[in-house]
Amino acid sequence: MTAVSASAAAPPLRRDSERGLLGGVCAGFARRLGVDPIVVRALFVIAAVAGGIGIPAYGLAWALIPAENGERLTLPARSSWQVASGIGLLALAALLLMREWGLWFSDAITWPVVLAAAGGALVWRQSVAAAPPRSAGGLRIPADAAGRALLGTGLVVGAGLVFLWLNGALAAAKDVLLAVVVVLVAGGLVLAPWWLRLVRGLTAERAERIRSQERAEVAAHLHDSVLQTLALMQKRVEDPREVASLARRQERELRAWLNGRRESGADSFGRRLEAAAAEVEEDHGVPVDVVAVGDTRLDARAEALVAAAREAMVNAAKFAGDGPVSVYAEAEGERVAVYVRDRGPGFDPAAVPPDRRGLRESIVGRMERHGGRAAVQSAPGEGTEVELVMER
Amino acid sequence: MKRVDRTSLVAGLVTIGLGVLLLVDQLGAIDLGFGYTPSAVLAGLGAILVASGLERG
Repeated sequence: MTAVSASAAAPPLRRDSERGLLGGVCAGFARRLGVDPIVVRALFVIAAVAGGIGIPAYGLAWALIPAENGERLTLPARSSWQVASGIGLLALAALLLMREWGLWFSDAITWPVVLAAAGGALVWRQSVAAAPPRSAGGLRIPADAAGRALLGTGLVVGAGLVFLWLNGALAAAKDVLLAVVVVLVAGGLVLAPWWLRLVRGLTAERAERIRSQERAEVAAHLHDSVLQTLALMQKRVEDPREVASLARRQERELRAWLNGRRESGADSFGRRLEAAAAEVEEDHGVPVDVVAVGDTRLDARAEALVAAAREAMVNAAKFAGDGPVSVYAEAEGERVAVYVRDRGPGFDPAAVPPDRRGLRESIVGRMERHGGRAAVQSAPGEGTEVELVMER
Repeated sequence: MKRVDRTSLVAGLVTIGLGVLLLVDQLGAIDLGFGYTPSAVLAGLGAILVASGLERG
């Protein structure tokens, strides 16, 4: 079988239960950092022995980092703050208890490290959460994420200052800090023009990339809607009523798209996918069987997934003969996947001419632009399966 | 059937736990120093906050 696939997204930080000894926290960090798990485990053990910080830190990481198989407790913002504060208080209680029992390293080291760890966790979490959507092509950090990142940075800097103060080194550090500030200001003044030029260049490049993606989106939409309808109209030229009906429907769809309106009642991924399957079935007269497990909100990425799946269904209906087209959709946690299968004659994906936009642009290209991936598995005589996956 | 309010349940259990600890300390079975109080109070508050957050979620 020959396969064509789009690029997969880099894996985020996850607990690696398979390679883990306890909860998979160390193995998850190790995979993320690209080091051997034994290194991270050693660090946690040292932190656990030297003052006991490693134990609450491990518990905190276990509670906050989602497991690899995607199960994740999603809470509204206010509740997640309550849970985080609660876990923080429990960790603080555990630290105070260990201090009382004498399992303690030193106040001057432990408390700054705790503060720095909390701040570092906030900054790291926000840096992951605020990663720009791949389809947007720009760096936009939401205000609340920026606020939390700022709070985290403040905690880390505060931890450093508390450490210096507790160890009596703040007075000496003041002179060093002043020198560092002076050098930074001077360096900033010297480098400002280059920095500005770099920012402008990046902004222009980003704008061009966004324009290019928008052009590709418009082209894909026109291909999937207007061009396909025109092709259908040519096929059914002997039935004027059918042609008029197709033209009216296309006009309605195009007007809705130009005005940015969404079809009524189509705010769920599952319903929109079933509606798309019904359209394909009606247009091409080929049965399309849809099985959907789970559902999710229809946002821009889910809409792109539906559009790519619709194009895969159209291709199957056009080229797979009279046999049914099977569509299996699965929306679970942060992963939404659609599989479109047919038992038609199949084809060699590598031999598709570059001017055929359906597979390259409307399916693979569209999924890539929205941060998903598409894989087409087919061979002459063996049917075709299109796998579309969107990690949210 | 009335749904169990997890926050109230945890808060009640925490209060009972603290009360039992203080009672046992008062009876002389254990010796709780003043240094344990902040830990116990913080742990109780933390448990209530976690329960409340999970209840809302």
